[in-house]
Amino acid sequence: MPVEALLARDVRKTYRTRNAPEVEALSGVSMVAHPGERVALLGRNGAGKTTFLKIASTLLTATSGTVEVLGHDVLSDPDAVRPHIAVVPQEGKPFFHLTPREQVYTYLRSRGMDRPTATARTSEALGEMGLTEVADRLSITLSGGQRQRTMVATVIATQAPVLFLDEPTIGMDPFARRAVWQTLRRLSRQGSTILLTTHYLDEADALSERLYIIERGRVLVEGTAVSLKQQVGGSLRVSLPGGQPLVPTLEGFGRVVTDGTTVHVLIEPPSLTELLNLAVREHLTATVGPVTLEEAFLSAVGHSIDED
Amino acid sequence: MAAFPLPRLRGAGAFSLTEFRVQVHEGIAIFTSIMTQAVLLIFVRILAPPLFEIALLGSLIFSVFTLGQRVLNEAAYIRVDHRLNQLYLASPLTPDSYFVGISVGVLMAYSLPILLLVAVAVLTLPFTPALVALLLSTGFAVWVFTSSLGYILSTTFRDMRAIWSQASILYNLFGVLPPVFYPLYLFPSALRPVALVLPPSAATALLQASIGAVTLSPGEVALAAGSHVVEAAVLFAFALYWARRTAMER
Repeated sequence: MPVEALLARDVRKTYRTRNAPEVEALSGVSMVAHPGERVALLGRNGAGKTTFLKIASTLLTATSGTVEVLGHDVLSDPDAVRPHIAVVPQEGKPFFHLTPREQVYTYLRSRGMDRPTATARTSEALGEMGLTEVADRLSITLSGGQRQRTMVATVIATQAPVLFLDEPTIGMDPFARRAVWQTLRRLSRQGSTILLTTHYLDEADALSERLYIIERGRVLVEGTAVSLKQQVGGSLRVSLPGGQPLVPTLEGFGRVVTDGTTVHVLIEPPSLTELLNLAVREHLTATVGPVTLEEAFLSAVGHSIDED
Repeated sequence: MAAFPLPRLRGAGAFSLTEFRVQVHEGIAIFTSIMTQAVLLIFVRILAPPLFEIALLGSLIFSVFTLGQRVLNEAAYIRVDHRLNQLYLASPLTPDSYFVGISVGVLMAYSLPILLLVAVAVLTLPFTPALVALLLSTGFAVWVFTSSLGYILSTTFRDMRAIWSQASILYNLFGVLPPVFYPLYLFPSALRPVALVLPPSAATALLQASIGAVTLSPGEVALAAGSHVVEAAVLFAFALYWARRTAMER
């Protein structure tokens, strides 16, 4: 039986602090990532994504449960896991007084990589992240997005078998985000397993081969982006701001999901004309588009991903 | 990699060079690190010239002792502000190497101004091989102690503002209040054993005795030397344990 890149069983984490109530951050999370797979953890703020990622990457103990990375137990033998992983921490910043080139190169050297390989990998990673022009400027002079790209470059240059990325594209412009996606796809084709948390539904949709929606420390849904969208109950989304009074009527067309003051009706194309006629009669604005992961998320969780 | 003689310290050299590069960009901070000591030496030279040699030895030990404060600030800054500890600790770099790397990197960077004080000492002190050996050994023990203390303390803070003020109190309390810059005989005799077990003042007591500035009984020499070595060794061992323990948050 092949060894899974990541295998987590019933992972629980309770934070206990003095003079404060206990917080159960994870309530029995189980998941698997196959070798070479790109898996996204999707969830709202405080859902437990980062807690899980930190446990899986040897940075946090679990209260109970087991996590194995490439067959090594993360909790009992973290030293066996660490050589096989690399982590982009959430809100991590490069050393301000190193250049991106120095940051990437010295990190690779501290991992034990020889000089020629470290030099070559550094140039390659900086190029892929579009940092060649600023490679020799101190990080303190770079923009937030460039610093974040430096962090991603540092980690992708390792080409470690398992990469953990916690909100890797936060603060990046759309071009940089696509460059990261492209690089992560390449690395997974080469055999690296990618586990990333993200707040961006389009990122999870575009990048992940499989995703887990986490809410209140539990895995609510697991599947591919396509399968999750299919479960929603329609292929078109009609959004009607201020449509709440019509919900009973709208339920006759398809699945209804409310997001604040907006009502989304998920329908199949034959019902579209009739629904739009209803919107016109009721003087409502209607926006029509394909069902996205956003509806899948809303449908699974009951809240928008941006809602705290 | 398998051939590395100390597997637990694999990567420490490369990481210490990283830290060295980071630190040397703060050139002004490095050279102002001996500002207090330099000002104090000027005052002593003017106001109490006979105590200049003692103050000079004290400034060397104090400069080494405050390296721990730099380690504390740096380790906490990397962890609290940059969260880079996660990048390094979730990697083949062992927690031992991470702690030793920061300590050695800080030492390398801040050795430059200390060498200036050493140059002054060479010009003004009656250097003998015994004094050189004693200065190196006590300086090494103080460095091991203070770097270990700095790293351990760095893991307990969550707020950088608290670190700056509290670390300053701690290092000045143990580095200035005991007889580091002044002769041991001016310290209250009832508290003399305390001075002989605190690493900075224990080191300076031995150095002061070696140039004939104070007289120590054989028992006091044993207490100062013994506590000095034991405290450095015990705290270093604890810092290694603590580095491994805190590599994984609880």
